[in-house]
Amino acid sequence: MAALPRRIIKETQRLMQEPVPGISAVPSETNARYFHVIVTGPEDSPFEGGLFKLELFLPEDYPMSAPKVRFITKIYHPNIDRLGRICLDILKDKWSPALQIRTVLLSIQALLSAPNPDDPLANDVAELWKVNEGEAIRNAKEWTRRYAMDN
Amino acid sequence: MSATVDERISDELEALEAILMNDVVVKKVNDVPEIIETVVHPSTGDDVDQQFVCVTLEVRLTPGYPDISPEVTLRNPRGLDDEVLKSIYTQIKRKLLDCLGQPVVFELIELIRENLTESNLPSGQCVICLYNFVEGDVFIKTQCYHYFHSYCLASHLIAGQKYYQEEVDKLPSWQQMQAPQYQTCPVCRCRVTCDVEVLKAAPPPVDSITAPPFCLTAELKALQVKMSALLARQVARGGVVGMGDNGPPPLTITSPSDNDGGSTSQEADKAEALASARPHTSSENAPGSPQARPVYRGPYRGFNRRGKPGRRGRGGPAAGSR
Ligand SMILES: [Zn+2]
Ligand SMILES: [Zn+2]
Repeated sequence: MAALPRRIIKETQRLMQEPVPGISAVPSETNARYFHVIVTGPEDSPFEGGLFKLELFLPEDYPMSAPKVRFITKIYHPNIDRLGRICLDILKDKWSPALQIRTVLLSIQALLSAPNPDDPLANDVAELWKVNEGEAIRNAKEWTRRYAMDN
Repeated sequence: MSATVDERISDELEALEAILMNDVVVKKVNDVPEIIETVVHPSTGDDVDQQFVCVTLEVRLTPGYPDISPEVTLRNPRGLDDEVLKSIYTQIKRKLLDCLGQPVVFELIELIRENLTESNLPSGQCVICLYNFVEGDVFIKTQCYHYFHSYCLASHLIAGQKYYQEEVDKLPSWQQMQAPQYQTCPVCRCRVTCDVEVLKAAPPPVDSITAPPFCLTAELKALQVKMSALLARQVARGGVVGMGDNGPPPLTITSPSDNDGGSTSQEADKAEALASARPHTSSENAPGSPQARPVYRGPYRGFNRRGKPGRRGRGGPAAGSR
């Protein structure tokens, strides 16, 4: 593997030295471009209490192209599909090299606080979120309890 | 003219407008001036290209002004770090006290201009590579007062062009003509017009030549162990994507560009690989892009119905405006 750009090293160090509350990101032992991530479900969201595992990969041309991120832990959310893929503009056409790993993870955390059923990736979840928010939130809590709690 | 305005204020405004002309904006409510706003630049003669910093000065005239100090705000600082701004604010406070009872806006402009002239160099880092600007670096200031190494901005613009071309190629030909192309600033997304050919001839950032090697600390290793233990527990409970699903109805993918909806076995293999805590070791194995599939582009990537690139934004401007 080519030498790791200092940008990635600096980002990694900063993630360790000034961790983002509720988020941990650790590079893999064998590939410093691959991060194991845990995002804590935000307070007052249906995901509260959950520990969500994600994987994040910095492609060869990072930061010119966005990191690739997906959920590994199952999550009931209108903008995250059943393969864990995330519908988030900054991961696609709104990516900018001024964004960093930490900003991406913060945006994902914010997405958990504010699901957006009008811009869905998981259509049936979004549909339920729109017609019966109460039930959708119950489902989300149930999935969180069942799959993302650590006890 | 029904409202009565303190003569000291009307004289001050008259002078400001005579000298700054279009560069000063006076906002009035019922003919009473309330806010004076102007962008302050360093003194570089008329050489605008040599102005690397600027800041917008906003003076809100309190009802008793000038016998009472106005409220002063510095907005949209460009190329100035927090330390410099803090120091300017401190000096402004002192100046306001000194000038109580007399018009102060000119004094403020002068004070800020002196400070800007002193720090008229891009401060901080290039947000693209995170290296500082050092002696010998070739850098560029965009129209929006953001700085990048020319080399870095070129890479960004070239990547943007490539992305744009890929998206256009997906469109039917009658739509290709309509898709506008423009290049944007990585920090504020303002439009930038730069000659990529010129930029890309610049050398890479001086500091980028030697990057220290990366090594895992004991702390990182401990975190890894904790994370894989958590993952193992979640896998055991069927809480991991792609594993057997006995929860509420599975999420369905309905995006037309998604052509892997049915193949769960691949995903299961992948999840298994993850479960055994063997991280991917090459870019071919990046999340979402196992070898057997075309590169993952995300179901919503691309042009929306109006033929503009991308979807309507949720995120607003990019982070870290300086
Ligand atoms: Zn740079
Ligand atoms: Zn800009």
